[in-house]
Amino acid sequence: MKQTIFDISRPGVSGAGLRDPDFGELDPSQWFDAASLRTEPIGLPEVSEIELVRHYTALGHRAYGVDDGSYPLGSCTMKYNPKRHEPLAKLDGFAHAHPRQPESTLSGLWELLFHLAEYFAELSGMDCFTLQPAAGAHGELTGLMIVRAWFESRGMKRDVVLIQDSAHGTNPASASMAGYRCKMIRTTPEGWTDLDALEAALDDSVAAVMLTNPSTFGLFEKNTREIAERVHENGSLLFYDGANMNSLMGIVRPGDMGFDVLQLNTHKTFSTPHLSGGAGSGPCGVKAFLEPFLPIPVIRRDARGYFPDEDRPQSIGRMKSFHGHVSVLIRAYCYILTCGPQGLRTASENAVLNANYVQARLSPYLPPVFGSRCMHECLLSTAQLRVSAFDFAKRLIDHGMHPPTLVGAGCVYFPGHLRDAMLIEPTETETRESLDRMIEKFLCVAREALEDPELVRTAPHTREVGKILPPGSHGPPRAHEQKRRAPETWPGEGQHDHPELPQR
Amino acid sequence: MENHPEPLICGYNVHRQADRKAMLEALGLTSIAELFSPIPQDVRLGRELRLPAPHSEWALGRHLRELAGRNASTRSHLSFLGGGVYEHHIPAVVDSLTSSEELLTAYTPYQPELSQGLLQILFEYQRMLSLLTGLRVVNSSLYDGATAMAEAAWMACAATGRRRVLASSRIWSEWKAVLELYMRGRGVEAAYVAADPVSGRLDLRSLQESFARPAATFILQTPNSLGILEDIPAAAALCRQHEALLNVSCYPMMLALLKPPGELGADIVTCEGQPLGLPLSAGGPSLGVLACTKRLREFMPGRLVGEVRDIHGKPALALIMQQREQQVSREKATSNICSNQAHQAMRAAIYLAALGERGFRELAAQCAAKARYFREKLLTIAGVEPAATGPFFNEFALRLPCPVPVFLERMLERRVFAGLEVDGNLLVAVTEVRARAELDEAADLFAETIGVLKQ
Repeated sequence: MKQTIFDISRPGVSGAGLRDPDFGELDPSQWFDAASLRTEPIGLPEVSEIELVRHYTALGHRAYGVDDGSYPLGSCTMKYNPKRHEPLAKLDGFAHAHPRQPESTLSGLWELLFHLAEYFAELSGMDCFTLQPAAGAHGELTGLMIVRAWFESRGMKRDVVLIQDSAHGTNPASASMAGYRCKMIRTTPEGWTDLDALEAALDDSVAAVMLTNPSTFGLFEKNTREIAERVHENGSLLFYDGANMNSLMGIVRPGDMGFDVLQLNTHKTFSTPHLSGGAGSGPCGVKAFLEPFLPIPVIRRDARGYFPDEDRPQSIGRMKSFHGHVSVLIRAYCYILTCGPQGLRTASENAVLNANYVQARLSPYLPPVFGSRCMHECLLSTAQLRVSAFDFAKRLIDHGMHPPTLVGAGCVYFPGHLRDAMLIEPTETETRESLDRMIEKFLCVAREALEDPELVRTAPHTREVGKILPPGSHGPPRAHEQKRRAPETWPGEGQHDHPELPQR
Repeated sequence: MENHPEPLICGYNVHRQADRKAMLEALGLTSIAELFSPIPQDVRLGRELRLPAPHSEWALGRHLRELAGRNASTRSHLSFLGGGVYEHHIPAVVDSLTSSEELLTAYTPYQPELSQGLLQILFEYQRMLSLLTGLRVVNSSLYDGATAMAEAAWMACAATGRRRVLASSRIWSEWKAVLELYMRGRGVEAAYVAADPVSGRLDLRSLQESFARPAATFILQTPNSLGILEDIPAAAALCRQHEALLNVSCYPMMLALLKPPGELGADIVTCEGQPLGLPLSAGGPSLGVLACTKRLREFMPGRLVGEVRDIHGKPALALIMQQREQQVSREKATSNICSNQAHQAMRAAIYLAALGERGFRELAAQCAAKARYFREKLLTIAGVEPAATGPFFNEFALRLPCPVPVFLERMLERRVFAGLEVDGNLLVAVTEVRARAELDEAADLFAETIGVLKQ
């Protein structure tokens, strides 16, 4: 680690020019009793503004974003984030509006949110939306709480949610938070949801089935209609994890496939920046029969205009304070308006085209795990090489690109036998030339893996730090590697410690 | 012309017709439709989406400015609104630094070798918030103050094995709703503890009685929904007596001047982090701060950045203890949180570093001083009285001699957001951004309006 802001602190530097001359020097001891006042300094760093700027500018340079180059992180949809959205999200009437302002003073905001919810409904084939959820996982939880409230309103107790074994880790975690037991449905050798396993698990304890389509293998679930019919016959609801919606805009809508409730990820499909891990936004859409259960407030329109409706007796309540991630939602709104219906459809077409192009070009070295035509991302195997997918991915860093998604890294979790799989999502905003360069880098590492596997296994070699092996998230390395990888440098649990507070 | 990109009408798409054709040929295909052959015909949309036609950049700008222009804001009105989120000044350098493309367009630092800069900013954030809260471990980060409170409640349940939580009745009403929803999901009972009507503080006897049945935790918000600072040590003593964890939700600005809750006996501290350099943004995104003792670390939701070593033994930063998280432990994870508020946490770190030790303390002192100045002025208005006698920080509740909703409406006509109605009282927040002249003018307007309404 480079010097921290604490290391460059120079006591006495900060705070210049902050004083309000009308109030002069202030002495907090006149307002609070001595026992409640701090007796020691907080310990915050003190630097001048130029030092601050240089410190954080340098740290920013030691990161890698979509603007730096290819970022084919599967299931995360690292597409270009348009610059024109940034100043618009920061207009005074948005950025400086207080969420507790009288409702009559925010009519522009209500109108924007109302229309955005309508656009999401049209795109997804659902009837109504809440924009409150803070992220995709939060949208899942919202949807599952709505499912739960619906069953409860009918006096029914169902406590199981069925989930594909390849689902995002958030699916089972959200189901747990909503009070459900999770049962995993296995995948067939071809990569589809195993209908027999689903059939066997469907009984009157099942509240909902969560399906990601296209799946995290990048495959379109061809039996989706049959699944919907069976789930509904069983009296259960069908939940759509919209993380992979980027492949379907204007082509097919979850609502038309029979899904009852879903979440979208604006930071994936709708180009809102990933912001180093958030804030995202996870709007949740439902069919009309679930509308009464949406969290409050719901933005509605009547003769007076647009307004937030809180008078909703069957609502599940609130998922978070206020109206959701407004500045993120504004960017999604801008994206939809800029693209228009054709532009969105073209985006999905190109996302699928790019992924298939990459899959086809790489398949001689890195064959697709399931062999089928992929949607917006492809799952390729490194099994033919003499290095693991993990090693392979780390070597890509030396070639100046962000690695694809691996087991447990990135947003997805694959069943155990897919340890040697990489999920590659190029997104539609990569040109053919950019894809060709990316493919060349993959092929180069594949060649290196055959010719000089040690070079690959010990990568990256060009970054400020070497390879970091994350225990827990990737599991133990295969036996022959464990020996070679010098266990004494293995970062064991004991080293995973939060730094001690400085001693006073 | 043949090089003219087709996407003039197609948003951010990059392929020309010729590119698509060549790429399809490389796949042995002749049309885009063939790419979608795995999708059964009967589920396809088969029509164009009914969405507005594409907007040019200037048309989009005009439209958004028109919408924004119809909103009032703390820039167009004089505001005394608080209730969990506050109008603080954000130094321009915070916006400037957090607008760098790397911080905007990177994803979660799953690849630490590529992300040491991001990890270090989050690491610094964790340390700064650790200093503010007085607790060893801080995550990076949760969605907002309300969800942080709810996640912290579950942490306590997981750590104690109990399925009952107690909370002060004086927490923001929206946060109560979030807490109740999260607890309903987890099958946890939530019960409220009354406040003393005179001081506005927690009624310790009620808390004692509520512990008649075991509880995992007691959640105390300070300042509470009447702006009153709570007695953390007293609550901590009762919690210890009943082996419950003390969960304190607080306004981060008060931590500049007042003893950190971690030193006063809190096991978990949460904050709504919006005051730390985040624009109000009509409520989001804000920042959920979560801090806890080392003992509770394994129950913590969300990302943790820590020191590890690379394969050469060199120190580095990485996301640690991921076995708590959904991408590893799935249904057994401490939470489902994945995307979080990393960027907002970075803003908070840069904001605190920009102000520094002295700046942050000065700013908090100004909030308290200006609130006191304004409150004194308002208390000279006939019929205006304090709603509670307990100590406050920069937000205070008053009883008015006229109906609060009507008063607020009249003040709105004068372009003033005069405060919030809480249980029939007027809750007024004052921050460093108010000038003395503004406070003087506002006090006159309060007096005039109350005078008219009283008649």
